[in-house]
Amino acid sequence: MKVLVFHIGPDRYGLPLRQVRRVLPLLELKGIPLAPDSVAGLMNLHGAPTPVIDLSRISGGSPSRQHFDTRIVVADYTAPDGKVHALGLMAERVQGVHDVSTQELAPSGVQAAPFLGQVAGDAKGMVQLVEVNDLLPADLRARLFPAEVEAG
Amino acid sequence: MNNLSIKNKLYIGFGSIVAIILLLLILAYNNFSRLTDANNWDKHTMEVLIELDRVNNASLQIQVDTRGYILTGNETFIASERENAEQLKQHIAKAVQLTADNAQQNERLKRAQALLATWADVNIRRQIEKRRALGDTKGAADTLGQSSELKEAAAIVSAARELMDQAGEEERRLLAERSAKSVELHSSQNNLMIGGGIAVVVLSVLIAYALARAILGPLSNLTAALSRLGGGDESARIEVTSGDELGKVSEDFNKMAVQLQAATRRELDLTNDLRRKVDALLVTVSGAANGDLTGKITVTGEDAIGQLGEGLQRMFDNLRQLLNNVQKAGIQVTTSATEIAASAKQQEATGVEQAQTSVEVLSTTKEISSNTSQLLKTMEDATAVADFTTNATSEAQGNLRRMDQTMQNMVNATDSINAKLAALSEKASNINSVLTTITKVADQTNILSLNAAIEAEKAGEAGRGFSVVATEIRRLADQTSVSTWDIEQMLKEMQSAVSASVMGMDKFSEEIRRSVGEVRQVTDQLSGVMDQVQKLAPQFDAVLQGMQAQAVGAQQISETMMQLNDATQQTVESLKATSEAVHQLQYAAGDLQSSVSTFAVNA
Repeated sequence: MKVLVFHIGPDRYGLPLRQVRRVLPLLELKGIPLAPDSVAGLMNLHGAPTPVIDLSRISGGSPSRQHFDTRIVVADYTAPDGKVHALGLMAERVQGVHDVSTQELAPSGVQAAPFLGQVAGDAKGMVQLVEVNDLLPADLRARLFPAEVEAG
Repeated sequence: MNNLSIKNKLYIGFGSIVAIILLLLILAYNNFSRLTDANNWDKHTMEVLIELDRVNNASLQIQVDTRGYILTGNETFIASERENAEQLKQHIAKAVQLTADNAQQNERLKRAQALLATWADVNIRRQIEKRRALGDTKGAADTLGQSSELKEAAAIVSAARELMDQAGEEERRLLAERSAKSVELHSSQNNLMIGGGIAVVVLSVLIAYALARAILGPLSNLTAALSRLGGGDESARIEVTSGDELGKVSEDFNKMAVQLQAATRRELDLTNDLRRKVDALLVTVSGAANGDLTGKITVTGEDAIGQLGEGLQRMFDNLRQLLNNVQKAGIQVTTSATEIAASAKQQEATGVEQAQTSVEVLSTTKEISSNTSQLLKTMEDATAVADFTTNATSEAQGNLRRMDQTMQNMVNATDSINAKLAALSEKASNINSVLTTITKVADQTNILSLNAAIEAEKAGEAGRGFSVVATEIRRLADQTSVSTWDIEQMLKEMQSAVSASVMGMDKFSEEIRRSVGEVRQVTDQLSGVMDQVQKLAPQFDAVLQGMQAQAVGAQQISETMMQLNDATQQTVESLKATSEAVHQLQYAAGDLQSSVSTFAVNA
C-alpha cells in the first residue's frame, strides 16, 4: 500500500494515501484562542474553514518547525458516527509517497498512542503507520466538530 | 680875595679883561658903521655926477652929429642919432632916479629931463628934416645955420645944461660937506682905537699881576717845601696863607710829611728786627750746610721771616726724616740688590731651562703641523663622502617620491576594486533572489508531484503511468531543490568571500594609506637629512679652511717658537748683564750709605 511519509522528530511515519486528499504548502493559519495546544489553527480550504492539527504537538513533542518541506496534509477524517470531515495535519519533512508492502507490516507491540498503528521496515529505517480516524481524542473531536453532533 | 678858589680868581681876572675888550670893540664897531654910511653917501654923489657928465656927453654928441649932417648933408653922421637920443634919455632917467632922496635936486633934474626930451625928439628932428629937404643945394648949411630952429634948439639945450650944472654944483657942495664929516669920523676913530688899546693893555697887565701874585706865592712856598722834603728834611712844613686849593694842598702836604716821618721810624725798627732774625736763621742754616741738621730754628711769627723760619724748620725736619729714610732705603737697596743678584742667577738658570723647553715645544709644534696636514687630508675625504651622501640622499628622495606616487595609484586601484566587489555582492544578491524564486518553483513542483501521485493512486490502475510521471517530476523537483541549495551554498560562500575580500581590501588600503604616510614621513626625514647633509658640506669646508688656517698657524707657531728661542737666548744674556748691573747697584748702595752717614740727624 502507498503511504505519504513524514517525520515526527527524527522518526518516520506514514499516512495511507487513501485517506489523503491533497498536500498543501505551509499556509498562514488563523489562530484559535483558548484552543488546545495541539490545534495549530484554522485554514481556509476552498471557502470551508478547516481545523489544522500539529502532528508533532499531538504526539507530545514540540511544535513543528517551519521548514520548506513542512506541509499541511489535508486528510479525510471519518468520525465515529460515519461522517467524513476534512482535517488539516501539519507535518514536518514530508518526503513523498512510499510503497509499503502489506507483508512487511507488523504490529509495533507497544501500545503508546491510540493513533499509531503497524510498523514496516525498509532500507532507511522503520515507518509507523498513523491512523487518522483515531487521531482526535473524544473531547477534542467534540470541540472541533460539534455541529455534526447537533446536526446528527 | 684870598678865600676865593683859583678857578674863581681866574674867571674874575680874565672876565674883566674880556669885558674891557668887548666895550672897545662895540665903540669901534659903531664908528666903523658911521664911516661906512659916509662912504656910501660919497659914492652916491659920485654916481649922480657921473650920470650928469654922461648926459652932457650924449647931448654934445647929438649936437655934433646934427651939425656935421647940416654942414655936409652926409647921412652917415646921423646914422646913430636915435641910439644917442635913447642913451641920453636913459642917463637922465637914472640921474632922476638916483636923486629921489633930494627933492630940490630931483625937481631940477626933472625939468632938465623934460627940456632934453623935447630937444632931442622935436628940435633936432626938425633940423634934420629941414636939411634933408634942402638936399645938396648950395648954401644949404648956411641957410640952416641962419635958421631959427637952430637957435631955438641951442636955447633949450643951454637951459637944460644950466639946470644940470646947477645940480652938479649942488652935488659937489654935498660931497665936500660929507668928506669933511668923514675926515672928522676918521680922526675920532683913531683916537678911540689908540686910547682904548692902551687902556686895555694896562688893565690886562694889572689883572695878570694880581692873579700871578695870588697863585704863584703859595705855589712857590709848596715847591720850596717839596724840595726840602726831597732833600731828606722831613721836618719841612708850609705856612698856610690862603683858603683856596693850594691852601688845602699845603695842609695835606703837612699831614703827609708827619705820616712820612712816622713811617720812616717804623721802617727802621722793622729792619733792625729783621736783621736780628735773619742772623739767627743764618746760624742754624750754616750749621745745616756743614751737615749738622740737629739745629732748632727759634724764629717764629706771622710775618714773612717768621714763616720762612717755620718753613726752614719744617724743611729741616723733612730733611732729617728724608735722610733717615735714605739711610734705611740704602740698607734696603743693598739687601734687595743682593736678593736681585740671587734671583738674576736663578732666572739665568730658568732662562737656560726655558731655552731647552722651547726646543721641545718646537719639535712638538712640528709634530702638530704634520698631524694637521694628515687631518686636512682626512677632512678632504670626509668632504667628498659628504658630497656623495648628498647626491645619494637626493636620489633616494626622488625614489621615495616615485614610491609615494605608486602608493597613491595603489590606493586608487584598491578603491576601484572595492567598488567592483560591491557590484559583485549586489549581483550575488540578485542571484539569491532568483534562487529563491527557483526554490519556490521547485517547492511548488514538489507539492504538485505529491498531489499528482496522490491523484494517481486514487485513480488506481488508470493512474499508474501518471504516477510514474509524478514520481519523475518529484525527483526533478528534488534535484532542482538540491541544486538550488548547492548554488545557494556556493553563493553564500562567494558572498562571504566577497565580504572577506572587501574587508581585506579595506584593511589593505588602510595599510597602504599608512604606508603612504610613512613614506611621506620618511621623505620628509630624508629631506631633513639632505638639508643637514647639504649644510654639512659648507661646514666641512669651514672645518677644512679652519684646518688649513691651523696648519698655517702651526707653521707660524713653529716660527714664533724659533724666535722665542732666540729671544730666550737674548734674555739669558740680558740676565747676565742684569747681574752685572746689580753688582754695580750693590756698590752704589754701599756708597750711598757711607755718604748719608756723614749727616748727623739725631739731636
